[in-house]
Parts: sequence; C-alpha cells; structure tokens
Amino acid sequence: MAKTSDIGRRIKSVNNIKKITKAMEMVAAAKMRRAVEAVLKTRTYANLSWETVLNLARQSAESQEPLHPLLVKRPIVKRVAVVIIASNRGLCGGFNSSLLNKVRQSIKKHETGEIDTVQTEFIILGKKSEVVARWGYEIAAQFPKYDVAGGVGDILPAARLLKEKFLSGYYDKIMVAYNDFISAAKQVPRVRQLLPVEIDTKDEFLGVVGKNPKLETKKDFIAEKSKAHLSDNGYRYEYLFEPNRAEVLNKMLPRLIEVQLYQSLLESDASEHSARMSTMHQAQTAAGDMVSELTLFYNKARQAGITAEIAEISAGTNEVD
Amino acid sequence: MEKNFQFELVTPERVVLREQLTSLTLPTVNGEITILPGHVPLVSVLKPGVMIALQVKGEQRVIAVSGGFVEVLEFKVVVLADTAEMASELDEERIKVAQAKAEFLKQSAANHDDLNFADVSALLDKELARLSAVKYWRRLKK
Repeated sequence: MAKTSDIGRRIKSVNNIKKITKAMEMVAAAKMRRAVEAVLKTRTYANLSWETVLNLARQSAESQEPLHPLLVKRPIVKRVAVVIIASNRGLCGGFNSSLLNKVRQSIKKHETGEIDTVQTEFIILGKKSEVVARWGYEIAAQFPKYDVAGGVGDILPAARLLKEKFLSGYYDKIMVAYNDFISAAKQVPRVRQLLPVEIDTKDEFLGVVGKNPKLETKKDFIAEKSKAHLSDNGYRYEYLFEPNRAEVLNKMLPRLIEVQLYQSLLESDASEHSARMSTMHQAQTAAGDMVSELTLFYNKARQAGITAEIAEISAGTNEVD
Repeated sequence: MEKNFQFELVTPERVVLREQLTSLTLPTVNGEITILPGHVPLVSVLKPGVMIALQVKGEQRVIAVSGGFVEVLEFKVVVLADTAEMASELDEERIKVAQAKAEFLKQSAANHDDLNFADVSALLDKELARLSAVKYWRRLKK
C-alpha cells in the first residue's frame, strides 16, 4: 500500500487540476457567450443571402447561358481546395479530431470520383488544422485565426484568394469544413461546397434558426428544412437585373460568398468555445471523482498504518508480559 | 391579385423588419424604384439612401440604408442591407455630429490615399442617408 504522504500529494495535485479546469471553463463560457451572440445575429442574413444565391444558381442552371462564372459547375474537376476552420488551441474534446475525420472521409470520396487525378489542396485557419500536412497534402495558404472573430475583415483575404483562384481556373471546386453550432451541447462537423454554387448539393444551411429550442438539435428538422428549400416550388424566377446583370452579380456574389465564409467562421468559433466549456466541465467532474477516490485510499492507508502500529505495540506488551 | 407582399429587411447584425407591405420604395444605384405587389422578379444593388415601406394598415415606415442588395421574388421582397435603421430610432443631433466629422475626414483624406477617401465618402453617404431619413420622418409626423 502506498505511503499516505504520496497519496496526499496526489490529492493536492488533482485538486489543483480541478481548480485550473474550473477557471478554463469560466473563460470558455465567457468567450462562448460572445461567440454565440455573434453567430445568432448573422445567421438570418447568411441564410437569406444564401437563398438568394441559390435562386440565382437555379436560374443559371436552367437558362441557356450561365449567369456568372461563380455559378458554373466545371465538367472535369482537377483540383479541389478545402478550407478548414479549426481552433488554435486544444483541450476542447473532439472538436478538431472529428472535423478532421470528416474532412478525410470527404476527400477520400472525391478522390475516388469519376477520375482519379483529383488534387486536393488545403487552406487552413487555426493551428490545429496543420496536421493535414502530415497526411501528405499541400497547404496552399494559412490564415491567422483569432479566438473570437472581430468582423468580416477576418476572412476577406481568404475569400479574395479563393475567388481569384477559382475564377482563374486553378481550383475547380471549393469546399469549406467547419463545426456547425447547433446548441451549446451539440456541434456537428460539416463539409460543404462553397464554389461553384450548385443547387443540387445537400447540407446548405448554416446552423438552424428555430424558435423552438427542442427543434434545434433534431436532425430531421435540419433535413426537412433543406429539403423544403431545395424542392422545386414551381416558381421560375427570370430575374431582371438593374443596372445590368454583370454589374449586379459581380458585386453581389463575391459579397455573399464572403458572408458565407464569415458565417462558417462564426459557427466554428461558437462551437469551439462551447466544446471547450463542456470538455472542461467534464474534466472538472472527473477530477472531483478522482479526489474522492484518492481520499478513500488515503484514509485506508492511514487506518492500515494505525492498525499496524497498534499491532506492534500490543505485540511489544505481550513480549514484556 | 395579391394586395400585399412579404417583406424582410436584414442586416448582418439583426432582422430589422419582417412584415406585410403594400408598397416599398428603394434607392437603387439606377435611381429610386417603387415595388408593388406582383412586381417582376428583380435583383438590384442599393445605394445609401432612404427606404419607405408602406404597411398594410397604411402607415409609413422610414428606414435609412447604407447600401446592400434587393431581391424581388413572386410574393416576397428581401433586402440584404449593410446597415439599416428605422428613422424613428435615429437621433438627429448625433447624426449631425457624425456627419460633420465625416466631412472633415473627407477633406483631410482627399489629398492622401484613394482607399481611405472611398471609405470616408461611404461613411459620409451613410450619415447623409440617415439625416434625410430623419428629416423625412419629421415632415411625416407634422
């Protein structure tokens, strides 16, 4: 049986861990509150603007000539860019690993597509996504990521790079991977296509805007919502563009793409801090459990020591008698 | 034919308005347009200015916008604005101060770099839009 002083030391160190995790939980909670507020504020805008983009894409797909190069699906996909939005720091449970797993699955899928020469390049935000280099892929660019996003300016350089490389034909497809914030207890890793804008891709919506909090976590609800949107509602929009098509779309599409990317960043932020908060909470509970277990051992060891001492003393007195 | 249409005005910050309207006047880059129910589907770019929404009850809402986009659908109009404020929420004094500051910045930025100048004149346009929204609102109230 271990010495009581050893156990006592361990109890102390576990208690310290408990305190540290509690502090970290509180920090994460404060950041989460801000991040969640930010994500909920822009969600309506992001979803409505995405609807607009999809409506445009639908018209583009049905008309003879495509409306804008950003809406045109390339017949052969040679190079795909994947934007990964991860965190800078760990200690947030499966936040990064589940995202990276999802990315891996997704690139496997498109690499074994129609032709087997699809190249994948990564554009990463957040230090924890650097591991993709170890998988043997090219990292085309790395952008700095802040703990709590400050404004659309944070992703403008990334958005500009993506737009230019897509329009120049370097990339044929651009995907974004991030953790979607559904509730404080639930975050879902998601990989979605950003460019070209296609109407028949699933999983369009960023998060769920629902008044009923129960609905927010329901998968069917999300599926239903995107289905309802994607189903042909019978209207054919033949838009008029004022002043003219090129001018409107050149202004509008890049801006709305930026908004989508920014919303992904916000979703990721909110998810990260909620994930960290719940992980730290679990760590704290685990540390508490460990302390009570160790205390039990400590008492047992102490009692064993006392018993041994008494046995020695009584053995001694027996000798004397 | 339908007498009104669903209208949604959102900015990245919040949902400003979501209600039924009978008509909507917007400042687009080509000039002011008014949308009535049954308008042909349209996409256009907004410039800073005053937006006037006529509610079903016949009351007017005056809104200052600082640019964005409008999408007119069959039974729905969506405005994706950069910023938007209801004139009833705006404070004239504060705008005048902001406007004077923007004017000053514009003059000092004019002989510096172009980017700065563009930013500042956008700011000034925004404040002007707010001011005219408030003025229109005042006239309406009298």
